[in-house]
Amino acid sequence: MSDVTNADPLARIGEEADLGETMIELQELTKRFPGQETPAVDRLSLKIPKGEIVVFVGPSGCGKTTSLKMINRIIEPSSGHIIMDGEDVTTIDPNHLRRRIGYVIQQIGLFPHIRIGDNIATVPQLLGWDKERTAKRVDELLEVVGLPPDEYRDRFPKELSGGQRQRVGVARALAADPPVLLMDEPFGAIDPITRTRLQNEFLRLQSELQKTIAFVTHDIDEAVKMGDRIAILQEGSRVAQFATPEEILTNPANDFVADFVGTGATLKRLKLTRVREVQPSEALIGRVDEDRETLRRRFDESEWTAMLLLDADGRPLRWLRGTDLRQTSRPLDQVGNRTRAMVEPQATLSDALEEMLLGAAGVAIVVDSRGAYKGLLDIDDIITSIQTMKDAQAEFYRAAKLADPEAEVPA
Amino acid sequence: MPTLTPPETSPVLDASDAQRRQTARAEDAATARRARRAQLVRYLGMPLFLSIVLLVLYLWVAGQELDSIEARTLTMDNLLGQTREHLTLTLYSTFFVLLLAVPFGILATRPRLRRYAPIIIGLGNAGQAIPSLGLLALLFYVFRTQDALPSTGTFPVVVSLVGYSFLPILRNTMVGLDQVDRFVLEAGRGMGMSNGRVLRSIELPLAVPVVLAGVRTALVLNVGTAALAFLFGGGGLGETIFAGFQLRRTPVLLTGAVLVAVLALLVDYVAGLIEEKLTPRGL
Repeated sequence: MSDVTNADPLARIGEEADLGETMIELQELTKRFPGQETPAVDRLSLKIPKGEIVVFVGPSGCGKTTSLKMINRIIEPSSGHIIMDGEDVTTIDPNHLRRRIGYVIQQIGLFPHIRIGDNIATVPQLLGWDKERTAKRVDELLEVVGLPPDEYRDRFPKELSGGQRQRVGVARALAADPPVLLMDEPFGAIDPITRTRLQNEFLRLQSELQKTIAFVTHDIDEAVKMGDRIAILQEGSRVAQFATPEEILTNPANDFVADFVGTGATLKRLKLTRVREVQPSEALIGRVDEDRETLRRRFDESEWTAMLLLDADGRPLRWLRGTDLRQTSRPLDQVGNRTRAMVEPQATLSDALEEMLLGAAGVAIVVDSRGAYKGLLDIDDIITSIQTMKDAQAEFYRAAKLADPEAEVPA
Repeated sequence: MPTLTPPETSPVLDASDAQRRQTARAEDAATARRARRAQLVRYLGMPLFLSIVLLVLYLWVAGQELDSIEARTLTMDNLLGQTREHLTLTLYSTFFVLLLAVPFGILATRPRLRRYAPIIIGLGNAGQAIPSLGLLALLFYVFRTQDALPSTGTFPVVVSLVGYSFLPILRNTMVGLDQVDRFVLEAGRGMGMSNGRVLRSIELPLAVPVVLAGVRTALVLNVGTAALAFLFGGGGLGETIFAGFQLRRTPVLLTGAVLVAVLALLVDYVAGLIEEKLTPRGL
C-alpha cells in the first residue's frame, strides 16, 4: 500500500463502483498546524455522494474532526480544494459558505442568553428572512424534532435536558434547509438510551430530508448504524477504507480496519440485515379451529417434532408436541408450550438472534405487524445469510479486480 | 330505560388526583410568595438600612452641642454640595473609564492581540497594588509640571480616578470575554455569523455580568478614592472628613466618614440593580 489518497485499491474500487452524484468533493485537503511537524490531515481526497450520510470514523487524533471542520472552513485548509455541488468553495467568503451548511457539534453550542425559538432562527435571520416566514419555519422545525412549539419556543437552553438541547441543535442546523449537514459527534455527550432514540429519529428524518451529511464519530457501532458509507481514517486522516458498512464489516481492507472494527464484526453485520430480507422457512402449522384428529395425522406424517398452533386470526398460540396432540383431556390451546421469540419483518437479524437465544428454542417466529404468522427463522437461516453475504462480497471484489486491473496501481 | 355507562376513571382516583393537584398548586403559590418576599427584602433592605444609618447620624449630631466651627461645617447646604461633588467625580470618572477600558479590553481579546492578554491582565493585577494616594500624588505632580493642563479642580481628579479604575474594568472585560464558552462561539461562526456579529450578539451579552462586576468594583473604589479629591481642590466629602480630622472635631469627622460610607453602599446597591437588569436572561 503506497499512500494516502490511493490508500487501498479495494477502497478505490468501492469508491468508483457505485457512487451517485457527488455533493462534496475533497481534493488533497491538507492541514498543518503551526509548530507541528506532521500534518493533522494529509492530502485527504474523498467524494461524498448527494443525499448520503458519510461517516468519518477513526481513533482519536486521526484528524477526523479537523477534516470535517475544513469543509465549512472553521479550520482553514493549508492546501487542497473543497468542491461543493460543482463549485470550488475553498476561497469564497466563509460566512456565506457556512449559511449553506448546517453545523451540529457535540457540545451543541446553543446561545444560552437567547430563547430556543430565536436560537433556531439564527441562520434565517442572517439570511434576512422576514419575521413571519422565520416564525413559521421555527415552529415547523420544533414540531419535526418532537418539541411542541408552544411549550418550548420561549424557553431558554438551560431549561432543557441534554437530549432536548441536541434536538434544538439539529433543528437549528436545519433551519434554512441547507443541502449539506456537518455533524461532529452530535450524540456523543448524551446518555445511551437517549442517544439511541435520537439516532433513530435522525435516521427517520434523514429518510425524508435526503441531506448530504458528513458525520464524525469515534464509535464504530454508531458509524455502522448511521452511515450509508463509512470512511475509516488512520493518523493524518489517511483513508484506510471507504465503503459501505456491509463491505467494511465483511471485507476489511487491511489489518488496521479489521482491528478497528473489532472482533464483533459479524455480529455487527447482523444489525445491517433485516428479517424481511431473509427467506423464512415454513413451520408445521395447525389451526385451532381444525379437527384434533386431522392435526394429529398431519403431525405423524411429518418429520417435525413440534407443531405450531395458530388462532383463528393466524396468530401463533402454542408449540404442540406428539404427547400434547394425543392427550384428550384438555383443549389444544391450553397444552404445549407458549410461543415466544416473535419478530417483525423490519427487525434486524441481530434482534432475531437475540430472541432465539432468549427463547431457547433456536427458532424465531416471523409475524406481521398484526401478529399473524409469516414464517419461521432458525439459527441456520442466520448462518446461511452471513455466508451468502460474505460470498457475494468476495465475488464483487473478484469481478471488480478483473474489470479494472489498473486498480492495483496507485493513481 | 336509562343506559348505564361506566365512568371513564374511578371517582376515588379522580378525587385523590384533584387533591394532589390542589396541594401542588398551593405549594407553588407558597414558593412564589416566599420568592416575592425574598425579592422585596433584597430590594428594600439596603435603602432601609442606609436611611436608618442617616437618621441615627442626624439625631446624634442634632443632640450634640456644636461649637461655632462645627456648626459652620455641618450645614445641610455644605454637606449636600459636597455629596453632589463627590458623586459627580465618581460618575464622570466611571463614565470615561468605561469608554476607554471596555473597547481596549475587546481589542486585547481579539485573535491578533490575544497572545498579549496574559501580560495585560498581569499588569492590571499589579496596577491594583499601587496605593491610590500614591497614584494620585504622582498624577498631580505630572499635572503641575505641564502648564497646558489645569492642576486643580475636577479635571485632574477625574483623570486620576480614570487611571486608577482603568485596570479593574479592563481586566474584567477581558476575563468576561474570555470565559464565554468557545463552543458557543464556534456554533455561531459555524452558522455563518461574521466576527462582528459574534462579538455583538454573543460575546458581549455573555460577558456583561463579569464586565458589570468590574464596573461595580470600580464605582465603589472611585467613591473611596474621590475622598482624596479635596487635596487637589476637587471638593467632595473628603473636605469634611479632613476638616474634622485636622480641627479635632469628632462630630465633623464622623459625619463626613459616615456619609462617604453611605454613598459607597448606595452606589454599590444601585450598580447591583443595574447589573441585574442588564444581565441577559437565561444565564
